[in-house]
Amino acid sequence: MATSGNKNINAKLVLLGDVGAGKSSLVLRFVKGQFVEFQESTIGAAFFSQTLAVNDATVKFEIWDTAGQERYHSLAPMYYRGAAAAIIVFDITNQASFERAKKWVQELQSQGNPNMVMALAGNKADLLEARKVAAEEAQTYAQENGLFFMETSAKTATNVNDIFYEIAKRLPRVQPAQNPSGMVLMDRPAERVASASCCS
Amino acid sequence: MYGTQSKRDLALEFQSQIPILRPSIHSRRANLTVKFQDLYMFTVEGNVDDVNVLNEVREKVRKQGRVWWALEANKGANWYLEPSISEGIALKSSLKFSTLANAITLKRLIRKGIPPLLRPKVWFSLSGAAKKKSTVPESYYDDLLKAVEGKVTPATRQIDHDLPRTFPGHPWLDTPEGHAALRRVLVGYSFRDSDVGYCQGLNYVAALLLLVMKTEEDAFWMLAVLLENVLVNDCYTTNLSGCHVEQRVFKDLLAKKCPSRIATHLEALDFDVSLVATEWFLCLFSKSLPSETTLRVWDVLFYEGAKVLFHVALAIFKMKEDELLLTHHVGDVINILQKTTHHLFDPDELLTVAFDKIGSMTTNTISKQRKIQEPAVMAELDQRLRRLNSLKLEDK
Repeated sequence: MATSGNKNINAKLVLLGDVGAGKSSLVLRFVKGQFVEFQESTIGAAFFSQTLAVNDATVKFEIWDTAGQERYHSLAPMYYRGAAAAIIVFDITNQASFERAKKWVQELQSQGNPNMVMALAGNKADLLEARKVAAEEAQTYAQENGLFFMETSAKTATNVNDIFYEIAKRLPRVQPAQNPSGMVLMDRPAERVASASCCS
Repeated sequence: MYGTQSKRDLALEFQSQIPILRPSIHSRRANLTVKFQDLYMFTVEGNVDDVNVLNEVREKVRKQGRVWWALEANKGANWYLEPSISEGIALKSSLKFSTLANAITLKRLIRKGIPPLLRPKVWFSLSGAAKKKSTVPESYYDDLLKAVEGKVTPATRQIDHDLPRTFPGHPWLDTPEGHAALRRVLVGYSFRDSDVGYCQGLNYVAALLLLVMKTEEDAFWMLAVLLENVLVNDCYTTNLSGCHVEQRVFKDLLAKKCPSRIATHLEALDFDVSLVATEWFLCLFSKSLPSETTLRVWDVLFYEGAKVLFHVALAIFKMKEDELLLTHHVGDVINILQKTTHHLFDPDELLTVAFDKIGSMTTNTISKQRKIQEPAVMAELDQRLRRLNSLKLEDK
């Protein structure tokens, strides 16, 4: 039985986005605090877990870092099915990657879990000189589509922990107002027992 | 002929031995993580046990080498190049032994491993790469490279992006020379088969082929024979449909070949085997298993065909059966499997299970299974495509 002061939550989180946007780098920074200039290309998907404490709850993220190449798209549903959260990543120096991100948002909105917490990450924010996607543009898009937006840099660590922390806070069962009833199934992803919607 | 050993020109024999750690350290070994180079110069992390296992593997590789040299001395240098029985093509081999006896010896021998120095030659002929190459003009590869020089396609852009991301840190692959060779092989192939073009995953496969084969051109032909003859069709094409089919076949086999409680347990956890096995099948284990173990799998793959991938994948689950049954989370399952594959430094440990404990599977049965799964996969992919397309229309 979970008490209000001590909640353990497992949350499946998926990272989606164009090839080379920096999905794996964000995860590596978040999970291990490391950055490498050339991150091995991900095939299928890679799995990581990391725990965060937030609002009296402990959130254990089970992170699926997916492959970006277009043809791997056909595998994606397996990874976002039942996910409590998603980070859609684009590269601020690459307009095409932003367009790709929008497509992911669209797909998740129609196919994903309706309570999913979605974050839009404009990665490589350290490369300001080469910026192709204006922060305002991404911000407006995110607002219109019920996501929250952050510019991140896996290289400098800017906003990396913050984006995961923000997601954790927004998970339905982490919100203080939420009043979970009955037994909390520890071995089930959060969204299965969550009933209230998380985002507007 | 032991004397031929002196001709070995690769670094393998001369690489410095990993220092054997003193027994006194063994008590603390659980906490000790060391970095070391394996047989193919990959830097790996492991504990003292792993280091010792790898030293034993080196010794076994040497022993296995002696077996092959002795056979060469008895049967003649190219005895294994005898055509297989089914092919019935007379090669120009001057020696005629009992083909059947040789085939049986060879199958056993290959499952025990081809010595690294003989790999280029044995793979090239037994996989069918030599035959494939012989059907085109001698200058095919050079002509191909000349023809594609300077051309930019989505495939070449993707390849360029992946070159430094393919086994970064490897002392040869991650050099300008290594990148250039890998680029030529991948770009060349992307033009040879535009349906495949370039699929991520092939970078790892081609890189490892380059490390094994003597020449870049031979690596190219190995990649060609792999994609065109050894593996099932459409593994790497636009929607990876062949790979989807393999995953479904694998799921069925897991229920049949491993105790059914494993499959039941994993299903209850909502664990789909393709969560881990997609990478195994697309990279042919090169991203999961240590290099020599991967290449031992490939030894058999090139001789016995794609069913070998199922044997090996099933073996990994079987080896960890007890631990897997104790898991409560998908994450735990994946962690166990990842840890297991990364530490399989002893190829025999894996291959013994793969071939002695899984039970036989004929290529024929697996082909039938594929035929059964294909329509469902195609329907699913098609349905998905339509759903996504209708999404786009709504958006307009």
